[in-house]
Amino acid sequence: MASETRSYPRRRSRFEIRDNLWKWIFLLPAVAIIVILLAIPVLWTLYAAFTDLHLYRIGDFDTKFVGLANFEKLLDNRSFWRTARNTVVFMLGVVPTQLIIGLTVALALNNITRGQKLFRTWFLMPLMVSPVVVSFIVGRMLFQEDIGPINDILRNLGFEGVPWLTSPTWAMVALMAIDVWQWSSFMILMLLAALQGVPPDLHEAARVDGANQLQAFWKITVPLIMPITMTALLIRIIDAFKVVEIIMVLTGGGPGQATESVTLAIYRTGVKGGDLAFGSSQAYFLLIILMIFGGAYLVLTRRAMGKD
Amino acid sequence: MERQVSRRQFLRLAGGAAGAVALAACAPAAAPAGSGETSMSEEPIVIRYAGLDGMGARVEAFMLPWVEDNGYKLERGAFGQQELTDKIMQSVATDTYLADIFQFPSNARADVINANALQEIPQEVLEAINFDDVLPGIVNTLSWEGKIYALPYDGDIHYYSFRKDLFADPDINSRFSDTYGYDLSPENGAETWEQWGNICEFFTGWDWNGNGEEDDFGAACMTKRGDTLWWGFNSRATAYAKHPDDAAYFIDLDTGEARLNNPGFVRALTEWVEEMQNWAPPGGTNFTYGDSLNAMNGGRVAQTYNWDAVTSATAPETSVIQGLQGYDILPGSHEVFNSKSGEWDYFDVPSHAPFHAFGGWVIAVSAQVDELAYDAVWGFVTHLTKPESGLAFVTDLTGASPYRFSQMEAVEEFATGPLQLGEEVAVDYLNAARETLDHPNAVTDQAFGGWVQYRDALELGVSKALANEASPQDALDEVAAAFNEISERMGGLQHQAELYARTLGM
Repeated sequence: MASETRSYPRRRSRFEIRDNLWKWIFLLPAVAIIVILLAIPVLWTLYAAFTDLHLYRIGDFDTKFVGLANFEKLLDNRSFWRTARNTVVFMLGVVPTQLIIGLTVALALNNITRGQKLFRTWFLMPLMVSPVVVSFIVGRMLFQEDIGPINDILRNLGFEGVPWLTSPTWAMVALMAIDVWQWSSFMILMLLAALQGVPPDLHEAARVDGANQLQAFWKITVPLIMPITMTALLIRIIDAFKVVEIIMVLTGGGPGQATESVTLAIYRTGVKGGDLAFGSSQAYFLLIILMIFGGAYLVLTRRAMGKD
Repeated sequence: MERQVSRRQFLRLAGGAAGAVALAACAPAAAPAGSGETSMSEEPIVIRYAGLDGMGARVEAFMLPWVEDNGYKLERGAFGQQELTDKIMQSVATDTYLADIFQFPSNARADVINANALQEIPQEVLEAINFDDVLPGIVNTLSWEGKIYALPYDGDIHYYSFRKDLFADPDINSRFSDTYGYDLSPENGAETWEQWGNICEFFTGWDWNGNGEEDDFGAACMTKRGDTLWWGFNSRATAYAKHPDDAAYFIDLDTGEARLNNPGFVRALTEWVEEMQNWAPPGGTNFTYGDSLNAMNGGRVAQTYNWDAVTSATAPETSVIQGLQGYDILPGSHEVFNSKSGEWDYFDVPSHAPFHAFGGWVIAVSAQVDELAYDAVWGFVTHLTKPESGLAFVTDLTGASPYRFSQMEAVEEFATGPLQLGEEVAVDYLNAARETLDHPNAVTDQAFGGWVQYRDALELGVSKALANEASPQDALDEVAAAFNEISERMGGLQHQAELYARTLGM
């Protein structure tokens, strides 16, 4: 006979209540700071996107609620779509290149037994330099068309100098080169960490089972480093979408509008130009695109890795 | 019912929230305006100055003895060139304290003065600094509706500079004369933009600097978007697009419609594109202000126009052309487009329309000046801008250019003072400055509110033409459309036309 059991709600001890209270008290400053620093600006920007707020408008003008007018204007704005296209081209140019370089170098580093720490530190260095400095020194000086060293070498070798900053195509290539130079290190470090997390005995077991190196790489290494690779790729894709500093210093968005990114356009509209309303709508557009892309990316990668 | 919040209320709300965070984060630090209030008799009065980093350091060094003699304390906020205007405008728009004294670009005056951010300059200060000595072109950049709101510090304008040694070379001149049918002038350089174009073409592609390389070109200009392209292009365009009988240049004073795509501007851009693509050093369609100066001072181009062509050419560490340059007012044109009639008018004597590019940095006292520091602040700006101080600044390597009648006579100080220009260069320089600042057909820089947006729109269009992404006409049609759209956003075409008239002193 089954004994009848009754469950009573367990009474919380006074200690537990006090414990929870203390947790909340300690958490509160952090939560408050996050709410103030993150939520308020995000909500304020959202509100501004639905108004005609302009920082520098002279005279007695009230800020009016304009509904979706800024977003409608955005959809009709050819200039904005040009910047969107530039941003996508930039992202597609830099992220895969950084992945290939990162993976290649990380595999090489993972296999060397001497000097790994030295190389790891060496590859960390580009990340420590400010993008503005990188764009000025690596970009503006090396790619200077007239007296820059790259064109100088090309001319000495008998080639024509390349119009690095005055041709729309080459200007984009120059920007990509700078970004790849700086951020490939990030990929190298992330992927090296991932590779070092792969247990060596799995490879030994595969070898015993007759797998060759390529098979072991595809069947063991790639699946195991996939989570970190996907995270690194997501970080780089989001960063590439937000690129602004190197463009400002190297090309200013030119020639014409050939290298202007969405973020640079937002900065020019909202911060420099004072058109906070339209700038906010552009910023929200970028945020929404990134959220959709990021969400889809995470779902698809989780599915691909068989986690759902 | 539509709920309306004033812009200032709206921004203040946001500013309040941000301020709360800032206060929480920086609790030990006093609020900027607070120290005056909390300071008792033993605390020195603090004068707070916000300005450019480099120029501000010079101001600080110059003013420190005066500050210490009077028992005050100086706190200097240092900002980058791009950042300074933003900071001031944001503090103005959000009604927050930045400093007691601002250094700001004169073409932001409509924005700053209309926001009631500045104190009107008292008559006794104007008398103390001998304000009547200031050139009319500069007075206009300090005033609004007949009242003076800022004090002069710098007479920034573009100077045309050219290699007078080459132009005086008989062999070079004879070859030039054979080709173009007139002589090069070592005194004035190019008198018209047509001559400037001839000089560009002639001096490209042969080794006139004698270094054994074909790295010699006609001209270099500031053409990079986001740098100083606005001034580079407008200095090139005014002679065609500013008619002596019409006060307006950027927009029509009656309708507020942009003029940027009229035949005067299109001709200027068409010629400029040809010059920069063919007769400037490689990369010449994307040159910063510094690149154009380096090309001139490096002895690789025969002519340019710039703010600092004079002072930088004299420094041995940056220039190989010391004493070889001539200076003059920007070239003019026999043909000027008349926007009213829609026709080109012909002038027997070239019509000049020197562009007051940028118009200079000015000094102003904030409306939110710390009450305890009030007298000290006015004493500070009076001492900083009085004639003796002004002369000390413009004759030193401070980046400030002359702006007073008396400074135009101070040849000796420019020739033998810290700038070491030498008498010949000093005379050319001062004549060019005076002629430009005192010219009846001079063009005042855009200052009618929202100038950064107009600037960006123009730079985008011109940059497209320079990169062959659009024809000059199409590019300027885009610019004009963008100007009109910006004007609509800023309060309407008519509203902007009225503001423009005020910036012209009308």
